[in-house]
Order: sequence, then C-alpha cells, then structure tokens
Amino acid sequence: MNSQASNTTSNVFIGALLCLGLLCSCGIATAATDAESPPSFRQEIVPILTAAGCNSGGCHGKLAGQNGFRLSLRGYAPEQDYLSLTNELIARRINFAAPSESLLLQKPLGGVPHEGGVRFGLKDRAAVRLREWIEARAPGPDARESDAVRLEVLPGDRELAVGQTQQLNVRAYYPDGSAHDVTWLSMFYSNDQTVAEVTRGGRVKSIRPGSTSIRAHFQGLVGTVEFSTPFPNTVPPDRYSRQNNLIDEHVFARLQALHLPPSGLSDDATFVRRVYLDVTGCLPTAAQVTAFVAAPESDKRSKLIDALLQSPEYVDYWTLQLGDLLQNRKERDHDVRGVKGVRAFQEWLRGQVTANRPWDQIARDVLLSTGDTTHVPQVGYFIVSIGEKQNVEESELPDSVAMSFLGTRIGCARCHNHPLEKYTQDDFYHFAAYFSQVVLKRQEKEATTLLVGTRNSEEIRKQITEVEKAIAESTSTVAASKTDEESKKSAAQLKDSGKRLADLQKQLSSAMARAPGVTQPRTGKMMVPQSLDRVAPTWKPGEDPRTALVAWMTNPSNRAFSGNIVNRLWRHYLGIGLVEPVDDLRSSNPPSNPALWAALNREFVTHQFDLKHVMRLILNSRTYQLSSDTLPENEQDRRFHSHYYARRLPAEVLSDAISTATGAPDQFAGYPLGMRATQLPDSGVASYFLTVFGRSERVTACACERTTEVTLTQLLHLGNGEAVSAKVRATNGRLSQLLKEADDRKVIDELFLSTMGHPAGTAESQAVQNALADGDPREEVYRDLFWALLNSKNFTFNH
Amino acid sequence: MIDVSLGHQPSRLCNGATRRDFLRVGSLGLLGFSLPGLLRLQQARGADQPPARAKSVILVYLGGGLSHHDSFDLKPDAPEEIRGKYKPIASNVSGLQVGELLPCMARTMDKVCLVRSGSHENDHHETATNWVLSGRFGSPFGDYPSMGAVVAHESGFSGLLPPYVAVPKNPAFTWELGKSAFLGGRFESFKAGDPNQPDYKVRDLSLPQPLTPKATQRRKSLLAAVDTLNAHVKGNDQMATYDEFQQRAAEMILSPEAQGAFDMNRESASTRDAYGRNEFGQSCLLARRLVERGVRFVTVNSGGWDHHKKIWDGLEKKLPVFDQGFSMMIRDLSARGLLDDTLVVAIGEFGRTPKINKDAGRDHWGRAGSMIFAGAGVSSGKVVGATDKEGAFVTDRPVRPADVAFTIFSALGINPRKQLHTPEGRPVEILSEGSLIDELYT
Repeated sequence: MNSQASNTTSNVFIGALLCLGLLCSCGIATAATDAESPPSFRQEIVPILTAAGCNSGGCHGKLAGQNGFRLSLRGYAPEQDYLSLTNELIARRINFAAPSESLLLQKPLGGVPHEGGVRFGLKDRAAVRLREWIEARAPGPDARESDAVRLEVLPGDRELAVGQTQQLNVRAYYPDGSAHDVTWLSMFYSNDQTVAEVTRGGRVKSIRPGSTSIRAHFQGLVGTVEFSTPFPNTVPPDRYSRQNNLIDEHVFARLQALHLPPSGLSDDATFVRRVYLDVTGCLPTAAQVTAFVAAPESDKRSKLIDALLQSPEYVDYWTLQLGDLLQNRKERDHDVRGVKGVRAFQEWLRGQVTANRPWDQIARDVLLSTGDTTHVPQVGYFIVSIGEKQNVEESELPDSVAMSFLGTRIGCARCHNHPLEKYTQDDFYHFAAYFSQVVLKRQEKEATTLLVGTRNSEEIRKQITEVEKAIAESTSTVAASKTDEESKKSAAQLKDSGKRLADLQKQLSSAMARAPGVTQPRTGKMMVPQSLDRVAPTWKPGEDPRTALVAWMTNPSNRAFSGNIVNRLWRHYLGIGLVEPVDDLRSSNPPSNPALWAALNREFVTHQFDLKHVMRLILNSRTYQLSSDTLPENEQDRRFHSHYYARRLPAEVLSDAISTATGAPDQFAGYPLGMRATQLPDSGVASYFLTVFGRSERVTACACERTTEVTLTQLLHLGNGEAVSAKVRATNGRLSQLLKEADDRKVIDELFLSTMGHPAGTAESQAVQNALADGDPREEVYRDLFWALLNSKNFTFNH
Repeated sequence: MIDVSLGHQPSRLCNGATRRDFLRVGSLGLLGFSLPGLLRLQQARGADQPPARAKSVILVYLGGGLSHHDSFDLKPDAPEEIRGKYKPIASNVSGLQVGELLPCMARTMDKVCLVRSGSHENDHHETATNWVLSGRFGSPFGDYPSMGAVVAHESGFSGLLPPYVAVPKNPAFTWELGKSAFLGGRFESFKAGDPNQPDYKVRDLSLPQPLTPKATQRRKSLLAAVDTLNAHVKGNDQMATYDEFQQRAAEMILSPEAQGAFDMNRESASTRDAYGRNEFGQSCLLARRLVERGVRFVTVNSGGWDHHKKIWDGLEKKLPVFDQGFSMMIRDLSARGLLDDTLVVAIGEFGRTPKINKDAGRDHWGRAGSMIFAGAGVSSGKVVGATDKEGAFVTDRPVRPADVAFTIFSALGINPRKQLHTPEGRPVEILSEGSLIDELYT
C-alpha cells in the first residue's frame, strides 16, 4: 500500500515536471534560432531505439519486456513507450539533472552493465540526439506530427561484384510532401545473408553470386532493393533461346542476368516419371514409360500433360492438396461430424477438382458457407478453425483465412503490430470482424450448424420461442378457466408475457441492426470489418459481413488472393515458391522473379481463376522440363530454376510408389484394400509411414505442416523397416511374379523400369550380374537389388 | 532552465546498493577513470553458463493430470468430498506423508524432493501439456519446441544414439505433443516403443530378417551402383542429409552399442520384475538403460491420468504401477551411482479439482499440482511449497512451468535465455520467463 501511494505521488510530481520540461524546451527552441530543434520523440527517439535494436522481439520489444523494461515491438506504440521511459522509474532511466547519467544512455553505451551489450558509441549521432532530447526535458509525442508515408531506398536495384560494397540512402516522404534522409534511423536487413550482407549503417556487401532483397525499415515502413551478383560464368546467349512459353521468357531473362546457364532438357524417361509423380502423385507403370519413350510425336509431352490433367489420379492428388490447404480434419472430440464429416468435405472438394471449378468460386463457397454440415460439408472449415473458442476473434480463424487464401501471416498482429509488414493490431481485429457474426450451433445429437447472427441474437430468438409458447398456454388457460380468480390470474400472466415478447422483439431487431464488430483487446475499441488494405465496406442490417470480405478477396486486382494460389502451384511443381514461405507474402519478401510473378497472376486472373490453366503453363514450360542434372556453372543455384530441383517424394506419394513398385497394395484401417494414400480423406488415418514422412496433420493453416525434411527415422524405416521388406517379399508381389522369368536381363530391366522409370544402364546391369554370379540364391540377390532400388534417391526423390 | 533533480529518492536494490551507485561507477568509467572491474565482472558472470549438474534428464510425464489429493498432497482434515477415499501413510522422511496407494514411494521419499506447489492457469490438455513440456505458453498446437527437442538441438548426437528419446512414444490426446515445433524434423524425439512387449524391438532398429555379412555387403554395393543421382546432381542439401542419415541408419543396425541399449533381455528377470512387468515399469527401466549410455533427454510418457469419472477405480489401476516403476527407477539409479548426474522429474500437465464431481471423478485443475524432482544435486527428503487446506491453491512457493523448464535446462548446462531462431529468422528465447527453483538445491 505504502509503495503504491508513493508511486502515485511521484507520478503526479513527475507529470508536473514534464510539463515544465516541455515549456522549457519550447523556450530553448525559440531562443536558439539556427540550432536544430530538440529531437521529436516520434520521428527520432523511437526510431533511434528501433535502429539500435532496443525494442526488437528478442529484447525489450517482446511482450514481457527485458529485465523490467518494456518497449513496444519496433516502436509501434510511441505513446506507450513514452510512458515506459518517463513514468516508470524516471529517476533512473531519464535523469534531467545529469542527462549523461540517464540509464537510457548509459545502458546502450555500455557505461553500466547491459545484457544487450553496447549499442552505440558516445559520439554516435544516436547518443548525441538522445542526450539532446533529455537535455530538452524529454518532450513527448506530439499529436500533430505525422509519420512518414513512403520510403525510397537509393540507389535502387543494382548489381555488385563479389566483395564490392554500396552505401544505401533512405529517404522518408511525409504527407506534406517533405522528404528527409532517415538512413541513420533505418534498420537494414538482407533477405539472404549468404548472398549479400548489410551493416547497421546501410552498407551492402556482396558475398557470393546470387540475388537478394535488402530491406530498409523505418517507422513501420519497408523499402526494398534488389542486389544481384552475377555468377562468374560466360554463357553464350543462344543457351537461353529455346523457350516454350511466357514462363521461360521470364525465367531465362532472370537466369541470363545472373549468368546462370539452364541445364539441358530432361530426357523422355525422366520427364515421364517426373510429370506422373507431380501431376497425379503416382508412378508410371513400366508399360507407360516404355510407350511414352517410344512414341514418335514431337508434341507428346504436352499431350501427356493434357491426359494426366484429365485423369482420376489427378483429382485424387489435388483433392489431397486442397484438403491440406483447407485443413480437412476432425477437430476434436466435440466435433460431432466425426470422420464422416471429414469424408463429406473431401467428397465436396473432389467435386470442385473434378469440375475444375475456378478458385474464386471455391473460396467463395467455403468462406460463405452457412447451414448444417450434413448438407454443407464445407462448414467443416469453420469447425476446425474456430475450434472450442466462443468468439471467433480469439480463434485461429482470422489467421487461417489470411494464410490459406491470401498467403499472408497476420497472426503477429493479434498481439502486436506486424514487425515486417504494415499490419497493425487494429488491422487484425478489423479483419477478424468479418467473421463476428459466425455462430456455430453445436448440438449433441444433430449436425453442427453455422448461423449468421450474433450469440446474443440467437439467445434472444430462443427466449422468444419460449415466451410464445407461454402465451399460447396462458391463452388456453384463460379460455378454460372456471373461476374469475383463475381467469384474472391467467390474463395477468398473458399481459406480462405479451410485454416481454414485445420487449424481446425490440431487442432482437436492435441486435440485428448492430453493426458487426469485435473488440480490440489492447485499446478496448470496437473494430468494424475492414479489409487488409484498409477499405471498410458498407454494411446493411441483416447482411452477412463475410460477403464483403469475399468480394474484396476475389476482386481480380487482389494480388494476394491470386498470388497465394499461383505461388503454391509453382512450388508444387518446381520445388520452391517464387515467394518462400508460400504463406508469407509481404512487400518485404518479394518474389524471386517479379516479372514472372506479375505475368502468372495476370494469366490466372484473365483466365477466370482457372487452376488448370496455370498448371498447363507451368508443365509445358521448358523451365519445368529442364533436367535435374546440374552444370558446374549452375549447381549453386537454389532459387532461380536453372535446373529442376530434385526433392524427396511427399509422404503419400512415396508410400504409394513403394506399393506400386512392389505390387503390394496397402490396407489402411477403415478403408478398402488398395485404396491409395493420396486418396485418404483424413489425415488422422493411422499410418506410421505417413506420419514419419511428414504428411500434413492439418492442425494449423501453415504450409509447414507438411514436412519435406529428411529425418533419421525415415531412413531407418526405409532401410530396415518391416513395411518395405514385407512388400518386397509379398507372395503375389512383383518380385515373386518376376522370378518366374528365367532371363535375368528381363528381370533386371523390369525392376528398374518399375522403380526408376528407365531400364538398367550398363554399369548398373553389370553390378547386378556380378552379384548374381557370387553364389547366393538368385531370389536373395534380387531381394537385395529391390531393396537397393527402393532405398536409392533415384527412387525416393523426384528428379 | 529550471534545475530539478529527480535523484533524491534512490531506490534500493536487494543487495543494499542503490541503483545510483551503479550509475556512478558507470559514469566514472565513461569519464575516463578506470572502470573498477564491475562491468567486466558482470559480463563474465553473464557469459558463464550455469555449470552442468546433470548429464541426462529423465522426464516422467503423467498425461491427463495426476490427482495430487490422492497421491502426494493428501488433505486428511478436509471434508470427505475433498479428501477422497485414501488415507495418508508415513514415509521414510519424518513428517512427510503420502497416499496409501504409494507404499514404495513412501520408502523412497528420502531420495527425492517433493514439490507440492506446481501452479498455472490453464485447464486444457494440449495447451497445458505444451506449456509444461516446453516451459512456454502458446497455442494448443505447440508453437514452441518441447524441452527434449531443444536439448537435441543444443547437444546433437553423441555416438550413434539419438539425443532425445521418447518411451514408448510422444504424449498425445487428439494430436501428438512434445514435438520440435520450428526447430524442425531433425530434432523430433526418437520413439522407442513399448519395451514391455514380448520380443520388444525398437521399430526399424533391427532387420526383419537377419542378413549375413555377405548380404549386407551386397546391399551396400548394389545401392552404390543404382543410386546414381549424386553423380549428376550437385549442391542439393536434401540429398546430402539423406545420404548422412542413410549411413547412420545402416551403422545403427550393425552397432552393438545402439542395439544393446534397447535390448531389454540384457536385464535380469528379477530386475525386470522389480520395475513391474507393464509398459510403465519397463519404460522406466529402459530410460535408465538409455541414460546409462549417454542419451541426454528421455521422456517416459504415461497416459491415462485424466480421471473425470470413477477416479478410485482409475487410480487403483494407475498408482500402484507408477509406485513400483518410478520408485524402483530412483533406487536403481541411486544404487548405480547414476542419480548423481541424472535429473529425474515427474510431472503432469495439471493437478485435479479439489471437489469430487457427480461422476466420482476429479476434473482439470491447473492452479495446484504435485511434482517430483530427484538426482543431479537436488536435495532429497524435502518438501517444497504447499497448498491450502483444500488443496485448491498454492499458499507457498508457486512453481510455474517456466521454472521447471528453467531448472531442467540449467541442470544440463543450457542457458535458458539463449536465443533460437525460427526458419523465418524471428528470434525466440528458449524461455522468456522463469527462474531456478532454488529450494531444490538448498
């Protein structure tokens, strides 16, 4: 109690002093005519602390602060920071009597022990200005000041040779048209530090050939410039001349600028295996490979692509991709849909893929779904995303929608302004407000129903039903009453109920007329629906606020909506997104090929969000059809598609590939024998193999749920596991059938064709012949060969 | 200018020095006087890692939430609907009583430190489990790597055995917990399986059909002949990792060290009996075998403690098994001298409600719960913390999930404040809060 009282007193005292201080500093400013005015808290002091890293997420900027001193993350709340600096522990942090002794200076100068180390030197401009600010009695944020609206990073995009450096200059533009050099207040980052690094002062140095964005941050604004260092190759221009379509035009232009030669075209055998695996998730059979390789037509590749895009396996595989994206899973025990509901949603998704429905229409049907899960299975999306939360803004729903449909992470802004994007906490809750009228009505024995309304309006509706029932009862009692007293009593009840009904109806109409919105927890303010680019739609009473969201999202000019899915398609087929991670599109994370990004988005939108159109473009490009073999000149490239990037097969695809190759189908619990892993509706189906190889559990919307990593457990399972071994030995499997063939040449080729997609080469064949000649039973040697084939990267990777 | 000094009310630090004293020292240094070593001293202390007290940790996780009222924090004077069915019994530590279903633990309490004041504010299985297993509060999906994954990340493989082993597997309610989160798949736990199974073998750590040395050699040379991708594709990280783990997997099959660690038949029948011939007992025994061979972090995951209904039936099945296996592990580790550098912790995600519900069960209760620490310098025969007379709230020395994790990391010599990085480059401290449970070491 005592200390609290004294704190309050001292706060008042300090407040008074600060007022005096402000007056005082004004005096100085007018008196000293030409001298620089005292630093502005908003324009200089907060950016100084930001540039020095004081308010970064690893330091005082984290929610809990650091050693009792908390600042807003990268200075998003200057008013709050001003209070932390001045109100709390003022005598220590800011010392007007001896400004140099203020902890605000001593800590970053290293004058007193500081866990964060020395942040700047005594003579640095940051220290000088901080000191001047304290000497000027620490003037607070001035409401009339406005933040900068745009950054320009000079000299713009450029090329550097390895080891060469370039100083950046950052100019901030203000609403009144003025511009200031804020280089010294900016923070600089390299998106790929292995390519180019940047100093705190903004000097860029090229480390190795490649290309990366360098970002400058100031006051929540981001400016990016692209720094490229061409590879030390001399590539004849004709190496870029063979192009199939607009994709190659842009990819090869980028490669040419970086002096990266593209690898050669993949051979037919490699291509047929690759395209089957990528489009359908299935291995081609030996016969399919042989037929394709033998076919003489010059357009056989594009014919095959068309055929595969029409195949039922394509539908299976792309239903799986959408199932991941839309998190089709059983939520938890309270999810009364059970696995049945998951299957129904999958069936719905299959229908969309089969019909090749435009992506905007699929998104609309999911996001605007209303009704019960039996009739509208896509309501399951809301069941999973909302989970057990009472209020949608507390649930994962806003984050999930932004990630899955806009490739945008707004989750950071739930608790603090996004450190790398313009999104503020307000933006998050404005976005969440689109869903403020989504109510999930969960019933014990019936299908969960999604209603549009408010929890309150649903409650009132329920009460109205009850009162109406009471009125009906009272009416009949009045009619049937025998005594005056009885009749009077009932009549009185009837009157009461009537009043109550009128009252409830009034409440209901006012509840329905209330604009949708959610409360921003930090400010306590009501946030109305508003898009991420800050346009608030008009809302009419009774209208589902989600309608406006979908209209904004699917507007052809919304590059986040089209870019999100185009980028995911690109990553699926080419191994790495134009933007990585695919669910982290933001201005500070630009695509590796901006021209290609723009072109693909244009194609997608002008073709009415046709997913297959984009796939066809990608698959027919020379870029996709390049060999995975590297050249000495392009083996360091992991981003610009100078060759097809070899990668481990996804869990379901690898599992199916082993079954197909060995001729031993799987049986998943609850599903018929031979149902392929890519056809499973539910990520919850028990399978050690699929778990170990990282299928998506679909618990969150993050694309990282499906892991592409290679782990020890995977290699143990492939190399030593019973699963693979039993399939090799299966009684009716491929090997036991093949062993009836006496010609070893044929057996070997068939084994190679059904695993690797090509007949055995001379050296490979020789190695097998040698093993066969070594005295052990033929069957055992072939088992070991099969084991080796299934464990080789030629099999487990797509390449 | 008005000269106002705000320096007349110096605040006093715990050690008696005022903050201004520090300031003076600091500013003297700035003015060119020699800094009297204070800064350097401080930095040196900060840079020093806590000395490692433990080589290994065994974390026994009682998934679902152990009822503290019926095990280690009985309230015999509370009304019946709170105190429940069981009577307290004396232990070998004077004044310390435990529940009557824990007779073996009663004879082992001199080797452990009982903490009765575990406390947090979450009653949701997944959220609380992730909190307890990582030391950080996040969403139920596990935003933060569990302690085992962090230890794996910080220490890597020593020999052929993986650094983080889960026996028999990771905890799970609706989905798997105890995962590596943003650290990635390389740091997930290695699942040992149920060592109580007849013919127990770790999945994929032995071959389904034995191979002759000749066949092993044949496989190796055939694989080398058919895996031609490396000859054509250079600079692919995923391929390099694949090759590394493929080799490790092959070595583990041939390594007596790796094979032997999981060979339960090398334990005498009497030892195996002493731990209890059930999943939990044998898991405790395997945990001992693993730390004996240098595995850094072993979790023994025992589920089924979520007794919302008929709690007496449930506990009469679970507690005797726990009592036998856990106490035997402590005594066995102690007898072998392993307890000196192995920290053992038993913990659930929460305690259970004081009042018995209408279904004769107890529900989730994060506000209070009991846990056990032993080994690696932890004081034994001691009780830390206390709850009120109904066992509902902690009245003395609340111990939070972050404190438990802080203590575990410190014991292993890992700085709990070290920054890790997410794949996006976001800096994340291993722990953002928490401090050492000093009372364990006094």
